[in-house]
Amino acid sequence: MNRKSRRVNRWVDDLLHDRRPRRLRGGEQDVDALRAAIEMRSSGPDSGLPDPRFVESLRRRLARETQGVVPHATRMTRRGLLASGGLAAATAAAGLLVGERLVGGSATQQHLIPEGGKWVAVADLTDVPVGTAMLFSTGAVRGFVANHGDTVRAFSAVCTHLGCLLRMNADARRLDCPCDRTAFAFDGSVLFKAMSASLPSLPELTSRIHAGKIEVLTV
Amino acid sequence: MYVDSAVRPGGSDHVLELISGERPLDWERVYHDNIASIYRLMYYKVGNREDAEDLTSQIFLDALPRLRPSASKGEIHMYLVATSRTVLAEHWRRRLGVQVTSIDENLLSTQEDAPSSDQRPRIRRILSQLPANYRRVLELRFLERCSVAETAATMGISAANARVVQHRALRRAAEVGQELS
Repeated sequence: MNRKSRRVNRWVDDLLHDRRPRRLRGGEQDVDALRAAIEMRSSGPDSGLPDPRFVESLRRRLARETQGVVPHATRMTRRGLLASGGLAAATAAAGLLVGERLVGGSATQQHLIPEGGKWVAVADLTDVPVGTAMLFSTGAVRGFVANHGDTVRAFSAVCTHLGCLLRMNADARRLDCPCDRTAFAFDGSVLFKAMSASLPSLPELTSRIHAGKIEVLTV
Repeated sequence: MYVDSAVRPGGSDHVLELISGERPLDWERVYHDNIASIYRLMYYKVGNREDAEDLTSQIFLDALPRLRPSASKGEIHMYLVATSRTVLAEHWRRRLGVQVTSIDENLLSTQEDAPSSDQRPRIRRILSQLPANYRRVLELRFLERCSVAETAATMGISAANARVVQHRALRRAAEVGQELS
């Protein structure tokens, strides 16, 4: 069996295992063989039905990236908001409602959804290359946008410990609190903290990309 | 570095004006109506789940922000198929440098669900015109989903031989398929 034949057969093996086939350089005859393999493969039993998990994950991704709508976000009552203390009071002052209540107080991430909000452009997408983040201020909200490559997310830039405004530490790829030794990663999670008690992650802001700009839903 | 939208001339106000000027697109409905047919179309063109999922994601991410809320169901479907055509061409250009499969331009002018016809009768016809060992190897591998080892055992040949027969059978099947269409 020659090398070309081996490569075509490997390509077919990938196809039959529903894997992404590797790159291949082939002659015209091989392209015809590949086409025949695709035709055979896709006419098999149960072919062409999308996996429900894929359908749901793409729906969520579309909600996040093109529309900025958060699926299934539950709004908290005003009483619950006040009951949840300091952070909630700070966000209420900024005109935001807490979308999901903290459970157990630490690892869960909240989502801030303003009532009667509007989209405000906070940065040009080209100004935030993959792997970087940028602080912004809309007047009502101080936050940062981070480009994670496949998605762009926005978070509050207010430390969840004492409410101090975080500072960008681009070299270390994190946000530092000027008030004590606390730092957050670009995905809002706590990197290290000054106190021993658990500290909530930074609340995520509803964001989207529109006409080349990163927009945040705010009041 | 702070970027304050309030001091950006024009920028954000302009965007907001465009959004509030039109009824927003019911993208959930568009997605729900089209996800199965677009995925199926891509699956038929690439033959594996991973690529089909990647390309389907790209199509919706590209097309949804560009759809007018006032577009009809048919127009939306046609726009998605047109986007699929471009995305598929780019996929093959990147992957192999050759357009292995493409989306028929005729699909763009019809509103029917693509691909509309069942491929199985065509596959049966192709198989029926192949020499017996070629037909057998393709049936075992593609329709019965046997491994190379299982196929070789069933046919009473070595695994290496089964691979050679499979490659030749695919080439011959491609020729027969072209003669049929």
